[in-house]
Amino acid sequence: MGSKAIKIALILLSASFVTIMLILPLVTVLTYSMRQGWRIFVSYITDYYTIKALNLTLLAAAVTLAVNTVFGIFSAWSITKFRFRGKQALTTLIDIPFSISPIIAGLVFILIFGRIGWAYPLMEAWNVKIVFAVPGIVLATVFVTFPFVSRELIPLMQSQGSEEEEAAALMGASGFLIFRKITFPHIKWGLLYGVILCAARALGEFGAVSVVSGHLRGKTNTLPLHVEVLFNEFKLTASFAVASILVVIAIIVLILRNIVEYRLKREDG
Amino acid sequence: MYVELKNLNKRFGGFQASDNVSFGVGKGKLIGLLGPSGSGKTTILRMIAGLETPDSGDIFIGGTRMNDLPPAKRGIGLVFQNYALFRYMTVFDNIAFGLTVRKKDKKYIRDRVSELIKFIGLEGLEKRRPHQLSGGQKQRVAFARALAPNPHLLLLDEPFAAIDAKVRKELRSWLRDTINKVGITSVFVTHDQEEAVEVADEIVITNNGRVEQVGTPIEIYKDPKTPFAAGFIGKSVTISDYGKLRGFEKIEGFESALLRPESVHIMKPQKELYPHASQRGIVEDIFFKGDTLELRVNLDGQKLIAYQSLDGAAFSVGDEISVLIYRLYLLGENTVRLAENRSIKSEGNFFI
Repeated sequence: MGSKAIKIALILLSASFVTIMLILPLVTVLTYSMRQGWRIFVSYITDYYTIKALNLTLLAAAVTLAVNTVFGIFSAWSITKFRFRGKQALTTLIDIPFSISPIIAGLVFILIFGRIGWAYPLMEAWNVKIVFAVPGIVLATVFVTFPFVSRELIPLMQSQGSEEEEAAALMGASGFLIFRKITFPHIKWGLLYGVILCAARALGEFGAVSVVSGHLRGKTNTLPLHVEVLFNEFKLTASFAVASILVVIAIIVLILRNIVEYRLKREDG
Repeated sequence: MYVELKNLNKRFGGFQASDNVSFGVGKGKLIGLLGPSGSGKTTILRMIAGLETPDSGDIFIGGTRMNDLPPAKRGIGLVFQNYALFRYMTVFDNIAFGLTVRKKDKKYIRDRVSELIKFIGLEGLEKRRPHQLSGGQKQRVAFARALAPNPHLLLLDEPFAAIDAKVRKELRSWLRDTINKVGITSVFVTHDQEEAVEVADEIVITNNGRVEQVGTPIEIYKDPKTPFAAGFIGKSVTISDYGKLRGFEKIEGFESALLRPESVHIMKPQKELYPHASQRGIVEDIFFKGDTLELRVNLDGQKLIAYQSLDGAAFSVGDEISVLIYRLYLLGENTVRLAENRSIKSEGNFFI
């Protein structure tokens, strides 16, 4: 009897918490952005600068995913399949982006590539602009999201062990064939899960990108930054409309994540 | 010698996994590397396979030095402890893998794999995935996969460890027969002395990274060269004060002795055979072992184990019995010496 009451109380508590903290804000964003009607909403989200920001966000996310997928696979592979000195240190270092503030990550790039940075003359000589330009945004996004894929793969590859790979190597299979035929089938869902988490974070990244971007509208403004810019200009409806694009992307990612999570569980069982 | 290991050393950090390991394997022989876990037997196997590189020493297979050859070029088949079957491939693809990698002709691969599947008696299971097979079936597939590319040397790492006791016995004789049929030189690793004795032509006993003794199971059983080998093969109890046993005297340099249950004969006191060679003990416990009785006997404070046939005299706990000890293995620092019961000899007749 008592346990049933506790059960109901706990369910109610968590349901109302989720409603107030998570669902309510999302619904507010969507309803507020529709406040002036569908036509206005569409005009806001098809605005030139919004489309530019969306493209930049997608570009940064795409590059980030490519880089971090490759990096994640390589690092997880080296950590789980080889013995070497400093392995523990490498594992810890990979987690740095999770433990430091994104703002600091952004500042680091300013300090390296900015006008006062030590790499500035070098970049100047090669005629590459990093800070307050697209490469800086991509760099910051990569930095902030790079642990996702390897964090997801390391436990998975550890549990698989390296015997199957050794067996294949013993029979003369090349490294790439071993990866394609033996390692990849085992990690594909975990990899996809890591990639999705990475994508969600890359699309929504604000802090680090905000520092290196310079907020040049139509040039270095990503979607989250564009929301802030509009908000600061008191264009509330427009800013909420743009935010609703991010909400929709988040919901799509959430659904994808659930599908992949389901497949991952089935693979285990 | 077909396989020849010379002074192999391997160190993992502060752990000496192989300490001057040398031994040879004759062509067509089935050799068991036997030792407790951590004794370095798997390291030896992995060095032969090329999965570990020795710090020093030479590995010869068929007269060729293998140290600098990659694993795939050594002509070796390896059966892993947990089989390491490719879990996302069918039985057929698993066995075919080594041939596909070597870019063999499609028809040849099909024929060779079918032949092997028939050989291991798993016809009809070609399309199964490893997780749909029993432990014994997995082992057979692993075995066929290792044999598919026609290796000259087969290595097996704890081939029976992951299988339950009943199937294990069956598989042991199956593996032995099959290896004999194929005629391939084989080395397997085990920590189970019963398994090594039953399966191997010759046993290499390892301990702390060193080779303690090499010989046929009978040789090692009858004539162990080191205290470790004496204690590891067969069942035994250690007796510290063996000079007190009737028929034996303390020898300088041999601090203790090993007594095997099969060297102990127990009798009812009234049916004593050699009164001068026997002494009285008390039965402390009796265990039924399925086909014999195992008795724990207290002999003046010294515990020992004796076997009694189910058809022999019946004893019960607390009985006074007459105990006759035929022989002991005296353990020195690094040597073993066989000691027979002198009192039997002096009486001038033999026990039949």
